[in-house]
Amino acid sequence: MTAWLLVDINLPLDRFTLSVKWETSGPALGIFGPSGAGKTSILESIAGLRRGARGTIRVGGETWLDSARGIVRPPEARGVGYVPQDALLFPHRDVLANILSGSRRARRSGAPRIDPERVLEVLELRDLRHRHVSGLSGGESRRVALGRALCSGPALLLLDEPLGSLDLPLKRRILPYLLRIRKEFAVPTIYVSHEATEVTVLCREVLVLEAGREAARGRPEEVFIDKAIFPMARAGGFENILTGRVVEASRSVATVELEPGTRLTVAAQGQSVGQDVIVAARAEDLILAVHPPTGLSAQNILAGEIREIRQPEGGDGGIGEDGGAGQVVVVVRVGRLGVPLLATVTAQACRQLALAPGGRVHLVCKANSLHVLATR
Amino acid sequence: MSPLLISLKVACWVTVLILPPGVLLGLLLARGGFRGKSLIETAATLPLVLPPTAVGYLLLRLLGRYGPLGEPSLGFDLDLLFTWKGAVLASGVMALPLVVRTARVAFEEVDPRLEGMARTLGLGRVRTFVEVTLPLARRGLLAAAILGFSRALGEFGATVIVAGSIPGRTQTLALAIFNDMQIGHDDEAMALVAVTVALAFAAVFTVEILLRKRPDLA
Repeated sequence: MTAWLLVDINLPLDRFTLSVKWETSGPALGIFGPSGAGKTSILESIAGLRRGARGTIRVGGETWLDSARGIVRPPEARGVGYVPQDALLFPHRDVLANILSGSRRARRSGAPRIDPERVLEVLELRDLRHRHVSGLSGGESRRVALGRALCSGPALLLLDEPLGSLDLPLKRRILPYLLRIRKEFAVPTIYVSHEATEVTVLCREVLVLEAGREAARGRPEEVFIDKAIFPMARAGGFENILTGRVVEASRSVATVELEPGTRLTVAAQGQSVGQDVIVAARAEDLILAVHPPTGLSAQNILAGEIREIRQPEGGDGGIGEDGGAGQVVVVVRVGRLGVPLLATVTAQACRQLALAPGGRVHLVCKANSLHVLATR
Repeated sequence: MSPLLISLKVACWVTVLILPPGVLLGLLLARGGFRGKSLIETAATLPLVLPPTAVGYLLLRLLGRYGPLGEPSLGFDLDLLFTWKGAVLASGVMALPLVVRTARVAFEEVDPRLEGMARTLGLGRVRTFVEVTLPLARRGLLAAAILGFSRALGEFGATVIVAGSIPGRTQTLALAIFNDMQIGHDDEAMALVAVTVALAFAAVFTVEILLRKRPDLA
């Protein structure tokens, strides 16, 4: 598959010049970075809302920007579904009218038709269709903004912090909508986020942006555990993201198979057998044992091998503001799992257990400290 | 025609005629970044601060027999002086700044990002203006119209110079009050004052309601 997206731009910002070059054929791309790294500016440049970008932007074979040849397509001729952080709903229209704002373009664009009724259904907005947008909650506003973007016949969805500033329970409620949209409507999407977990769950490729420059690029589950990137990803708590399928479900617990032979027991949250799920395990919640532990209430014990031990960095280190300094990060390879798991322990624990690369360990985790997200 | 009817007729025409250029100028000043913006801004405000008689006199000289808009220069007679149309012109010039300023504020309160959002949804500049900017600014624009109307209703100085004070033809409420007072018809003057107060109150009250901040129309 040839690249459908090419972004090669330079954009002078207040504190630095944003400079990215990025070509991809993947359907779901993440742009990750701390706030102020220039993430939103990239989206605005792609949407055509920000002037001053020099370079080239090509989407699906169409040139949206080519400053060398003097081509700058106006935003209305680009075909993006842009969902900004603050939703930006039209205050003079109700929910349905907002969602249909771009339907004229959708009819003429020749893009695969997305039925507004289906969008209302998928986003669970049917009962809100005649509500005035001023009365909507934060989560509802985001869903309406998503619906409006989807119904405009976009060639590309641009989602700016789709879960940002929502509290955790609300995040857990909106995330499935995003996954559902991806499955149901299959529009190429760029997600901007400063949370590694979101990017890992939603994207297959991530560009890490730091002060306007690419700091790393690749598969999220590999990029975020990279030594240089991990300090950014762990701000607010690093979560290991695992995918699997529910193979057993009872009233109190469900069993998720990650790989043949590797299973996790999670607290039941209404899962049903056969469901594809994502399991999130915080690095802080994983306990390490050098001998096979017995007589524990914790439901999960996974045997693995230490691949790497990262001592706390002295001085700047760039470690998150959550008091992560002084913590040792232990990278453990478990069975045939595709991704290594990260556990954080104190330097003292690391010394007492004499943890070293190549050593055998057991990862212990309570069913209750695993968060499960259904992807379907 | 009674002074009230003449006043209403003049004020209605003023509103209709100055609203389009007033709104356009307001939009230009609110959104445009261009050279000479401050100059236009100042020029558009001048009638608000100049003595109305000065504006009236300028118009008189412009339209007079030997002015650039007089019959000999144009080749035909605009027939504005000492007619109700002259009153429309004079009070229109006086009311324009108020319309421009109010329209400008109305447009400035529309978040430009909402307009940008509309563009990304495939709406061109014109559609965006019609479907997003105008509806969001509508209350401010309505207020601008009413303020322009009220200003025209109360205009005296410029009108008397350009249109004179011909009873039944160009004598508006404001002019009639002065006239009645001059000739000692105090009761009639008072009655006319009462009418103007009622009209002005209704207009300004409506504007207040329109411009009151409503949380849903931020």
